[in-house]
Amino acid sequence: MSSPVKTPPMSEQIQQLNAARKMALENPGFFKQIIQGILPLTAPSAPVELRRWAADFIAEALACPALRTQDKENLTLAIVDALRSLVEAPDQDPLVLKAGIMAAASAYPVIVRWIILNTYHPPAWETMSAIKSKILSIWENTPTPVKLCCIKFVQRVILAQTASNGTEPKHSGLDVNLAMIPPNHKFLDPRLLEAEAIGLLDRMLGGLQDNSSDALIVDATLNTLSILIRTRPATSSRITNAVLNFNPLKLANSPMTPKNKVLVKSMTKTTQMLLKHLFVRDSHNPIAPRLNQQYERLQRSRLDIFDEANRKRALPEQAAAGYGDVKRQKTEGVAPQPPLRIQPLAPGPHTLAEVFSLTNNTGLQGFDVTVVPTSLTARINVRTLASLDQGQLDMAINGVRDRLIALYAAAPAAAPVPVPVIGTATAQQASVNAETVALGVEEDDDAYEPDFYAAEDTEQILNKLDNAPPEESPEQNAKPDSALALGPFRLPPPPVLNPDTAVKVSQITAMRIFGPLSGLEDPLVRKPKAGLNRLAANSHDRDSWLTLITRLATRSTIGLGDGVKSEADATSSALGRPQMSLGNLIREMLFNYVLEDWRRRIEVAVAWCCEEWYNDRLTILNKLDGPLNYERCALRLMDGFLSYITAQDKVLTRFLSEIPQLSKELLGRLKGLCSDPTTVQLAMTSLLYLVMMKPPARELALDTVYEIWVEYEDARPLAEKYLHRWRPGFAETHAAADGAPTGNGTQAMTA
Amino acid sequence: MSAVDTPTGAASSSKPDQNEQNGQNGGREDSGGFKLKFCTVCASNQNRSMEGHLRLSLANYPVISFGTGSLVRLPGPSITQPNVYKFNETSYDSIYRELEAKDPRLYRANGLLNMLGRNRQVKWGPERWQDWQIGMPRTKHKDDKGADGMEGGVADVVITCEERCWDAVIEDLLNRGSPLNRPVHVINIDIKDNHEEASVGGRAIVDLADSLNKIAAEEREKVGASAFDSGSVGARSGFDERVPDVLAEWQERWPNLPATWTLAWF
Repeated sequence: MSSPVKTPPMSEQIQQLNAARKMALENPGFFKQIIQGILPLTAPSAPVELRRWAADFIAEALACPALRTQDKENLTLAIVDALRSLVEAPDQDPLVLKAGIMAAASAYPVIVRWIILNTYHPPAWETMSAIKSKILSIWENTPTPVKLCCIKFVQRVILAQTASNGTEPKHSGLDVNLAMIPPNHKFLDPRLLEAEAIGLLDRMLGGLQDNSSDALIVDATLNTLSILIRTRPATSSRITNAVLNFNPLKLANSPMTPKNKVLVKSMTKTTQMLLKHLFVRDSHNPIAPRLNQQYERLQRSRLDIFDEANRKRALPEQAAAGYGDVKRQKTEGVAPQPPLRIQPLAPGPHTLAEVFSLTNNTGLQGFDVTVVPTSLTARINVRTLASLDQGQLDMAINGVRDRLIALYAAAPAAAPVPVPVIGTATAQQASVNAETVALGVEEDDDAYEPDFYAAEDTEQILNKLDNAPPEESPEQNAKPDSALALGPFRLPPPPVLNPDTAVKVSQITAMRIFGPLSGLEDPLVRKPKAGLNRLAANSHDRDSWLTLITRLATRSTIGLGDGVKSEADATSSALGRPQMSLGNLIREMLFNYVLEDWRRRIEVAVAWCCEEWYNDRLTILNKLDGPLNYERCALRLMDGFLSYITAQDKVLTRFLSEIPQLSKELLGRLKGLCSDPTTVQLAMTSLLYLVMMKPPARELALDTVYEIWVEYEDARPLAEKYLHRWRPGFAETHAAADGAPTGNGTQAMTA
Repeated sequence: MSAVDTPTGAASSSKPDQNEQNGQNGGREDSGGFKLKFCTVCASNQNRSMEGHLRLSLANYPVISFGTGSLVRLPGPSITQPNVYKFNETSYDSIYRELEAKDPRLYRANGLLNMLGRNRQVKWGPERWQDWQIGMPRTKHKDDKGADGMEGGVADVVITCEERCWDAVIEDLLNRGSPLNRPVHVINIDIKDNHEEASVGGRAIVDLADSLNKIAAEEREKVGASAFDSGSVGARSGFDERVPDVLAEWQERWPNLPATWTLAWF
């Protein structure tokens, strides 16, 4: 390994070095030996190629998983001084620096572990600290590729200087952590080290905010975070918050150049991968739903921005246009079709099938085309027609025509020709059909397909003739023209519809309205709602479909006389079972649909309530004699929600504030919540929101608050606070009625 | 999902001959100089990643390849009867011989034997990404195509052939916790799993590799920090920074192969 001294040509030196490297890779025992040999190459005076090689080799050796911890420790101690001079050298080549920092990242935990166990030898730690401060000082002002490695180095520092929860892999120094440092260590102070680590973490996460359009930094940072979150609890919440606050789509607002597309997609996907990785690994963590939510938000935005779905669907066509045709052209060019020859029929009687058979293959002639599904047959036909060579078609038509002419010509001479045709057809209908229909498919290698239609038509006509009344005279049959006339055809009358079946069928109908919902996606862009006047179905997404459903439920049967009357009877048993009109059927299903996932579908519930309310208004305005549905629907929904409600369900507040009309009864349902101490807050917040934000409902809400104040001990402090604030005069009444608050509550309310 | 979707009926009798194509596109002269190290990844390490592996090795790049699936799946006589093999334990040759014994007509017609025949010339058998010990010296694979330069057991660029595989690779890298501290560009190219698309995708992969290698070589030609301050912006910035530019240009050339990229860590 003294070769560099003699300075043979560069390529030769590199070759020698590569040979040495291969030796080390084959037998990791050689690493140490070789590294000691190449250390002089790291000196600033060495040619840059050799410096790069040496730095790469050191980085490779320190990372090599084939080396045992013990060997790595020895190796690291041997190179740490050289590493320091390499990193500290002024004007260092960026590639050398990059490899040097990579090596330092691998060396750091090794040195930390070593110094924890060997307190007597501080120089190694001092050197490592010097390397650390050098790297931290160049971190901000260094070319991006080097900066990436600085980030990775910092990640290793944080890993080593925070306490582990013991779930990381126990190799490659990933397990070195703060908890390994004994409290009385001579010169390692765990508290200082941890403080430094947290400071570095903040600096590193700052990169997500500051450089949020530098995909390289962002990706590199995000891809180092997983192990920190998972195994270093002290860092988890900081990182999770930073990741949740990071908006990888910021750049999407600037013009979408191809490069920006790459960057935005990269940052978004990388963020998504980290989020998914975290919530899948630890789905019981309280933060998991938020991670999942953010993941889905990004997913939607990404689909929205890149419209990938469309692009993927378009791919097959584009592919076909791009290079698929090349192949097809080749086959077309290579195999010109042989000219079609149609054999004239042999003399004697023939079936119609024989007249139209253009193939001589008996196997094909016997093929029963009725076994091919109709849809497939149709597709084959369309395909064939589209690609059919006109010349071939003409030849086929002419050939068949010639045969027919020949038959006609032979007819007067022999017996009337078509008679045997029809005779055989009636006698052996099945076999004739099979043969006739077989025409279409049998020639799939060639292009006679259109005859299929002709054949089929003839066949149909024949069938009809078979069904035709027998009184037709044989003379008429003898005339081929009249045989081709269409007989009268009537559909069989439909079965009688009784009310039971009608109900069943309408139930199925209503169910089918909900069918598409599961398949429909949320609209890609959240469009602002256009209110009641918007068109129900201007696009085929979930929103539009739901609008359609709510309108079907609310408006479809309005003013339809009897049906409405009977509904009015049914109102007593809210959405009563016995006489469900279509509207009520849909209401029932809509109710179930909302309740299935009511937290997410609260919007649907609100939209539905609005439609009901609007429809009730219309009913009243037009003096129609219909039932009013709004109140009972809203109440039913409310009852439905309340049976599942938890303290976190702020959607209730939203529901109450967004539905068009509140009633005493509706708000009265909130009182039930106050009997459970955990949901008191929710009920009161909802009411306060109404008081503050919905002046028309203020008095109503305050009345409810007052009633709660009267009835529920748990809720009294909050209720009192709100009443003091919002109900002038409450203080006095309260003071007056103090001691007996349950007494004359109603009077106080009107004060 | 099987490794190769060969729609019945569209059995590729007109499929361009693999070897003939290789003769046209691959086997270029080794120009020497700096070479990036590549790794191609698909689901079963049979069709798309192997096409990429072969093409890249013929273009003289160091390359290895993997599959991210749980098992190697190849189409069988029907959609519900795939041929399933274990990663790392089954050689391409043994699969070839087994399928040839089972139904030579079927497996020749759907291109499987052709594909396996190619694969067994490239390396011993399908390898699973998740079982790969990254950074472990690969000295036992000398006879693999593209093994030259891969002795260190790491790659500079990982190219996956399907979004699912890209996800699996990133997820796995996050799991491993990046012990090697080595940056790696992970690029997905969406290639459909059939022979034709794999062939087109293979060309696209080589195109991308050439473009990336060009900027990497340029970075290495610059010497010293002083050189860093001179020159144009493009030439001044390093390889890593220019990857998105190269990918954007590449995407313009290959609009039908949507790509995704990230910088991850080994």
